[in-house]
Amino acid sequence: MPCELLKGFRMLDLADEKGAMCGKMFADMGAEVIKVEPPGGCMTRRIPPFLGDRSGSDRSLYFLAYQAGKRSVTLNLETADGRRLLSELARKADFLVESFPVGHMESLGLGYQALAGVNPRLIYASITPFGDRGPGRNYKAADINVWAAGGNMYLMGEQGRPPLQISAPQAGLHAGAEAGAAAMIAHYARQGSGQGQHIVIDMQACVVWTLMNAQAFPIMHGASMTRNGVFSGALRLARKMVFRCADGHISMLLTGGTAAPSISALVQWMDEKGFAADWMKKQKWSAWAPGVISDASDYEVEQIHDIEDRVERFFITMTKREIYAGGLKRRILLSPVNTVAEIAADDQLRAREFFVPVAHDIDGPVTFTFPGAFAKLSATALAAPTPAPKLGEHNEQIYGGLLGLAAHELAMLRAVDAI
Amino acid sequence: MAPFALDGIRVLDFTWIAVGPITTKYLADNGADVIKIESSTHIDVLRAAPPYADGKFGINRSQFFADYNTSKRGVTLNLSHPRARELVMRLVPWADIVVENFTPKVMRGWEMDYEHLRQVKPDIIMLSSCLQGQTGPQAAMPGFGQLMGALSGFYYVSGYPGGDPAPPYGAYTDFITPRLAVAVLVAALDYRRRTGQGQYIDVSQFEASLHFLAPALIDYFATGRVLQAQGNRSERYAPHGAYRCRDEHGSERWISIAIGDEAQWQGLLGVLGNPRCEERFATMLGRLENPDALDDFVGAQVRERGAWELTAALQAVGVAAYPVQSCLDLHQDENLDAFGFWNWLEHQEMGSAPYMGVAHRLDATPGQLRSAAPALGQHTDEVLQEMMGLSAEEIAQLRKDGVLM
Repeated sequence: MPCELLKGFRMLDLADEKGAMCGKMFADMGAEVIKVEPPGGCMTRRIPPFLGDRSGSDRSLYFLAYQAGKRSVTLNLETADGRRLLSELARKADFLVESFPVGHMESLGLGYQALAGVNPRLIYASITPFGDRGPGRNYKAADINVWAAGGNMYLMGEQGRPPLQISAPQAGLHAGAEAGAAAMIAHYARQGSGQGQHIVIDMQACVVWTLMNAQAFPIMHGASMTRNGVFSGALRLARKMVFRCADGHISMLLTGGTAAPSISALVQWMDEKGFAADWMKKQKWSAWAPGVISDASDYEVEQIHDIEDRVERFFITMTKREIYAGGLKRRILLSPVNTVAEIAADDQLRAREFFVPVAHDIDGPVTFTFPGAFAKLSATALAAPTPAPKLGEHNEQIYGGLLGLAAHELAMLRAVDAI
Repeated sequence: MAPFALDGIRVLDFTWIAVGPITTKYLADNGADVIKIESSTHIDVLRAAPPYADGKFGINRSQFFADYNTSKRGVTLNLSHPRARELVMRLVPWADIVVENFTPKVMRGWEMDYEHLRQVKPDIIMLSSCLQGQTGPQAAMPGFGQLMGALSGFYYVSGYPGGDPAPPYGAYTDFITPRLAVAVLVAALDYRRRTGQGQYIDVSQFEASLHFLAPALIDYFATGRVLQAQGNRSERYAPHGAYRCRDEHGSERWISIAIGDEAQWQGLLGVLGNPRCEERFATMLGRLENPDALDDFVGAQVRERGAWELTAALQAVGVAAYPVQSCLDLHQDENLDAFGFWNWLEHQEMGSAPYMGVAHRLDATPGQLRSAAPALGQHTDEVLQEMMGLSAEEIAQLRKDGVLM
């Protein structure tokens, strides 16, 4: 079912992995998203891993996931004919998103100013690794470089070992989602004023926004957080955030204060099994928040080490599933460190019918299971995902139907490598 | 001055902590009038979370709170008091949007859920964002983003191969959801303008976040493969990782490097002075298949280089590289600075401090951090007078009755 939210609005998606998420969100919200690919295909078709580890232009899992619901046309921007076609498409589009090196689209005569001349209503979003004004505006970047530049990498990993990225690169997804949010804000203004505009997304800044305010500690407290494995990077006081259990790990923050009911319930549970120390049973947890308001005392540090140690010995007797079920029942603030397999089997996601089947045709018919709507709307349900397009699948439909090119013109454009 | 994109939009904001406040901050920084409702008996807990101005605790001194609540007005209402609900219901017709991120029973308990709100404002748009969504067996699960980072798979896929998780710092998923929530919320606002139709939006932070692991989920369902933590290993780039450079100011300094093709590899070798390297590193496949040895090789070559000097040299030959920036480094980063990312704002109790700016720039209608975050209850009187026409005496009485705390 298409979504009514952005029905009738059209986006040209020229973004690579720095912005694929933007068009995906727009497709989910009902916009017609046209992926404009070079004749060799968008580079996201070549991002590993591939389905069954066999490569092929329709087999990249990244491509399948983030180009779902879009249409595909091929267009060679290296040719004058290709550039003319893009300009014609822009005349009929409401949004354009691109992530070429800064200045590249201008050099082709397809920058914001040029396309706004054709279509002043156009909202044109440019995703840049490090902004468009600094000394690094022309820097090359893989996802890991922006993760590093935005400060998140510095905070991930163990002391004495290299800083880390998440093993599913994230910076481009944040930038794409930010572009989606920004383009919608510009859309609201445009629907009032009639005027489109240029948007620049700073991917590095998008990553800084993931730091949970760690960025302010050097200014406020005169010290930086550091990476610390399963411990928080907290100043003065390392707190264990991830505990071992029988078949994996559990995430939990042992603190009182507003979380007092949770830690009380945990201690009660531990006591039933003989794992609670006497001091834990007597502790007034609502008043226990070491290091939050003032520095932790030596005694509090001792308490922290003792309870962390006992919690781990308690958890090691149970599986993730048992601990999560017990935690939910007792309203303890904890959660399992889930694998994708465990997420796939999660009761809550199943009850909400989050995962949805999507019929594909890849070397024959095959049905995949996709994450469904990122939000549930009462009046305009988001669109169910449809398959990512084959390369140039919609050339006839878009160039013929939308731009009104005749069959012989399409054939000629093909012959001169324009599409 | 350029107009703001969301001039004239009115938001009643019951949110707290991160996901909700960051969502409404996008609206506020773009010109919407966002009224944040808090209670001194039940404050936004970020007010009691460091970092604090000058490192000193105070209810109006948390930069954590301040960064997520710029450009908003702050009102204190004791929502468990029956008169407070009455005041809220008088404000609802004023609002275009209501946002909250409590556990699902809270707004229902106050009879301020969507069904009640739309009785007084039929076209209201309401967005709720709790951890696991408004329905389902675990809807009531309380918690915060750290738990969601684990539940939604990000912790498991973070770390060195075969080791304990080395999760992203803090409540990682709290910084995914707002971007999706803002997009759908503003889309709903535009839809209402075209159709007159308001609606209710249920954003499960669990579900929203899983979109950032979508390829791994699709892969699991299709082939049974379970994505594992693999350090900085990549199937596309080698070398790919963080390499220690020369220490600076007594601190470790690292550089991130990603090499995706032959030209970049030759560029790297050139910048490193064309050191002798093993035969197996001569091909991309050889490099991809021997990542540990390759890391040792690159690590040894860059150990005495300066992280910025090396970045400049590598970028000059088209190699993707950037220093691994610490939180302090971010404040001195010339690229963030050139984008105008750091915004110095003056706060009535905290003084002047650098706030995180907007991560995008709308050239015609730029957003702006219009004011520092409100002190607790800073705008209570102003809002009650201006928007409800209450007199100073009536406000004093409400205060005496414990409604405005």
